[in-house]
Amino acid sequence: MSGLIVFAVLYPVYFVVIASISNPTLVATGQVAFIPQDINFFGYQQILEDSRIWRGYRNTLVYATVGTALNLFVTMPAAFALSRREFAPRKLLMFFFAFTMFFSGGLIPTYLLYRDLGLIDNWLVFILPGAVNVYNLIIARAFFENSLPEELFEASVIDGASYFQFFVRIALPLSMAIISVIGLYYLVQHWNDFFTGLIFVRNNEIQPLQIVLRDILISNQAFAGGAGGSGGSGGGSYAQQFADQIKYGVIVVSTLPVIVLYPFLQRFFEKGVLIGAVKG
Amino acid sequence: MTVVDRRPNAEAPPPGLPEESPLKLSTKSTSLSRHFRTKWQLWVMVAPAIGFIGLFMYGPMYGIQLAFREFDFAAGLAGGEWVGFKYFRQFFDSPQFWTLMRNTVVISVSTLIVGFIAPIVLALIINQILGRRKRRFMQTATYLPHFISVVVVVGMLQVFLSPSSGVLTRFLRFIGIDGVNFLGDASAFVPVYVISEVWQHAGWNSIIYLAALAAVSPQLYEAARIDGAGKLQIVRHIDLPALVPTMIILFILNMGGVLATGFEKIFLMQNPLNLGVSEVIATYVYKIGIVGNQFSYGTAIGLFNTLINFTFLVITNEIAKRVSNTSLW
Amino acid sequence: MTGKPVRRAQSYVAAAAVLALGLAACSGNGGDDSGGGSGSGGDDVLNVLVLKHALTGPMEGMQWVSELEEQADVSIRWEEISADWDQAKSTMLAAGDIPDLIVGTNAITDSDLSTFTGLFEDLSQHMESLPNVRAMFDEIPEMEVMAQHSEGAIYALPGYKRFWPETVTHQYINQEWLDNLGLEVPTTWDELFDVLVAFKEEDANGSGDPHDEIPMDWAPTGSGGFGYFQPTVLMGSLGLPLTGGGGPGYFVEDGEVKSFLVDERYREVVAFLHRCYAEGLISEEVMTQDYSAYQSVGRGSGDTARVGLSWGWTASDRFGSQLAPQYTAMAPLLAEEGQDESDLTWTYDSYGENFPQNQIVMSAQSGNAEAALRVINAFYDQDISLQVLWGDMGTNIEQIDENTYEVLPPADGETDPSSWKWTTTLADNGPTWIRDDIDVEIPVDLSEAVEEAEPLEGALANMDLVADVFPWQFITLTPEDQTAVANRDVDILGVAMTNWGVWITGGGIEEDWDSYIQQVENSGLNENIEIYQRYYDEYVAALD
Repeated sequence: MSGLIVFAVLYPVYFVVIASISNPTLVATGQVAFIPQDINFFGYQQILEDSRIWRGYRNTLVYATVGTALNLFVTMPAAFALSRREFAPRKLLMFFFAFTMFFSGGLIPTYLLYRDLGLIDNWLVFILPGAVNVYNLIIARAFFENSLPEELFEASVIDGASYFQFFVRIALPLSMAIISVIGLYYLVQHWNDFFTGLIFVRNNEIQPLQIVLRDILISNQAFAGGAGGSGGSGGGSYAQQFADQIKYGVIVVSTLPVIVLYPFLQRFFEKGVLIGAVKG
Repeated sequence: MTVVDRRPNAEAPPPGLPEESPLKLSTKSTSLSRHFRTKWQLWVMVAPAIGFIGLFMYGPMYGIQLAFREFDFAAGLAGGEWVGFKYFRQFFDSPQFWTLMRNTVVISVSTLIVGFIAPIVLALIINQILGRRKRRFMQTATYLPHFISVVVVVGMLQVFLSPSSGVLTRFLRFIGIDGVNFLGDASAFVPVYVISEVWQHAGWNSIIYLAALAAVSPQLYEAARIDGAGKLQIVRHIDLPALVPTMIILFILNMGGVLATGFEKIFLMQNPLNLGVSEVIATYVYKIGIVGNQFSYGTAIGLFNTLINFTFLVITNEIAKRVSNTSLW
Repeated sequence: MTGKPVRRAQSYVAAAAVLALGLAACSGNGGDDSGGGSGSGGDDVLNVLVLKHALTGPMEGMQWVSELEEQADVSIRWEEISADWDQAKSTMLAAGDIPDLIVGTNAITDSDLSTFTGLFEDLSQHMESLPNVRAMFDEIPEMEVMAQHSEGAIYALPGYKRFWPETVTHQYINQEWLDNLGLEVPTTWDELFDVLVAFKEEDANGSGDPHDEIPMDWAPTGSGGFGYFQPTVLMGSLGLPLTGGGGPGYFVEDGEVKSFLVDERYREVVAFLHRCYAEGLISEEVMTQDYSAYQSVGRGSGDTARVGLSWGWTASDRFGSQLAPQYTAMAPLLAEEGQDESDLTWTYDSYGENFPQNQIVMSAQSGNAEAALRVINAFYDQDISLQVLWGDMGTNIEQIDENTYEVLPPADGETDPSSWKWTTTLADNGPTWIRDDIDVEIPVDLSEAVEEAEPLEGALANMDLVADVFPWQFITLTPEDQTAVANRDVDILGVAMTNWGVWITGGGIEEDWDSYIQQVENSGLNENIEIYQRYYDEYVAALD
């Protein structure tokens, strides 16, 4: 059973890898199934020679690291405060937050606001506006509510601890699992963010990796409708050949770092870690 | 130390806490200053989040009125002529309205249901059934597909499901199932969409459940094993209850997505044969909008969509509050 | 998906508000260091956004760019975008935050020009600063008509490419297969049918497998209408004159605007195609494959072709250079034997290809209007235009004497010419005026396309350029009309494209036809035709 799941899940991933080194024509006609055909590294060569990719990598690393740090710094305390049942305004505040998951003013007023704040073409636009994700806030709050033993809180109150002290000394160490999860969510969100760069940044020097990759990735989509403007004048086949060759490689190159990171976080999801942490 | 199932209990005071504890806001408290004196630290902790959300989310909120105004570039965002519900009516009167609603609901609800259950099952399997090493492998394996871009996923569906050369089609033919056209048959569209979504995201979405399971005390498992409980019984009596609060919260959030489907994937999967079931609100708005700069119409449809979703969220939240004592607010 | 529905809901709302949610990206090298530091330009710094092909190299790598800067005496800071432009554009325009110049064929559309009034500079007032453009309009007066918006204002300039064939869709059949089976090139639908049956039943490609041939295949029809390389051209057999492969269905015949979606001739073509499909003569994936699969299948494997009859830009583009020699360009088919050849038509695409629309616009708030105008003018310079289209002088073009040029084969010796062009320069995306009085030896990919258009010339000549060609490029709808037409088209095509797919693969057009027409008309087809007729009449009146 689980073997079947693993195969069903992993086969397409395996396919991405073999497709990235196979002849794209054979891939598109279904002739590459288990063994790479007509092996070449043209796609990777193109990707690695592209200086924009390396600059994008560097930018994304900075945004993801700094951004995630700020995210956790803002989200975790807020989630803790909102999890305290004796904090009466929390219902109102939760509504205040949840409302924005649904209603937003749209891109134009957002653009105008960012412009007034000087965030257009500024790398901080990748960090500040998304400092809190309400979805993650809710998840973290639910975790604090359900997994932090109330007895611990009572005990520390008796010891004279303040909220700050309880949060830093007891709640955080007990919450490594949720911190890892929320941190991972934020990190991946930063890693995959192309939209911010697309709308709010025009200076190529500070564009993140995803902007560069998407360029390559969807370059043949214009022709998917068949009536592509430049497709008619001979751009079509070239784009298709070239882009097909590169697109699978792009997936490999851009996700490797996030994949490598995962096993490091995994230990926090292992049973017993938390309890051990408390005892120790 | 024992960790027991701690359902949130919004009303009752935590046991053992004296009524006059400085950390407890008395329900009878009359004094605001007393609240700030005892709770200022909580306010400090939540203040940055309030600031960011207030500025970046509520700041641009005035743009919503565009749904009720003509977009007039020269007059500015809030300066166009007030047209009331004109664009809402235009949408309701569209000959495609009911088709769009039906398609959107069918696709998103099937995705919500299957997509809600799959990560839970996966997390339980990973956590309980497998040995340590297999568990790690399975976890990483199921997590990987999340990172494959939609464009490539749809390209892979084309390659795998092609009626003449697809890997899956050939496999099915090999075991005697012939004549299926997953890409051309309109009735196959929703299953293909939903299954590929589950394939791609179930692993990723199971992470939160794994984190919740990590908080279950090992002593509980030991005690259960001593009592002679089998794996399934452990799942049933220990693991599942531990997941319930997370499940409820995620379920409430999911219900707020009744009318929300992804845009890009559906758009890329569309072809003339499945258009009857694959045209959803998101793709319709895209087609309407891309040619005509119809900001007002787009905003109106978006707002309509949002209102429905929000209503579902509020209702589910109320029900959850009554039934399980868990809620968003 | 679970776990992220809310985030999705949120982004959906944002997207809905700005309409086009989507794909992504922009980029390229350059930015700050391309201009000022290079010393080639003057002190004026201009921001120029350029919409280019995703695989076109960085602007700073193009030699002609420094020539342009020198001629205009400015330094240019390029903003290079190649994907998701619609998404980025609508926010940028609505916020009124645009660079000095925007370059790219239809990067700014007529609809943008009329929606964002006051954002773009009216260039008709600056003709004295644009001598090259003035000269182009004097040489080719249609271009001025094309450029004029309402009341003579010119917000965007078109280009002139001169050498492109009159049609983009060329028709090919595998001559080697015909020879293997002892068959002639078919001239009528019935003959075609028989040939396709032979392709299917016999081992036409000699691979030993009689079933690996795909007798007929065409480019994927999306859900938004028709385009190039699709069998809509078969309507030309019945004398229905198309432009641009069909688009949303409108055409002009003897001065009357119609839609082929409700035309009897469309019904006949669909019925014929279903007859072919039912016999297994058309790729069973014709409705579902993507462009990658369509192109890849056409390229066969090694020297074994897989497709019998198809449509494309050039044989080598469609079937790959290895298989291209097997194919022959074919004349339009007669619907039935004995039909008068003067009835035949095809799809006329020359306006779109030779007169690309809206290639450059200027911001009305440009801080340095003089410099911006100088850049526009420099684009239309004789030598710069040639280089924008085909690449740098010296490496890509050789100047033989003052008015004689030769486009050189790709300098790396292995890339094909059209790929080479698209990677090294702006190509068809840049504003150009290729003079009529100069001699240019055009590259082989283009001469191949011109050559393969020859069998179609007769049919194209049967089309009256005024009475039978829908003048998309010459009419500009008001924003209200534009919106109304576009909204209805979405509904109309929602019905039409589904039926197109179902009728060809499953049949039933005869039974469904009447109720289908009813449905399409309920979606507002006649109202749209009326609007277009009005604009068309105005256009014709203005010609006199």
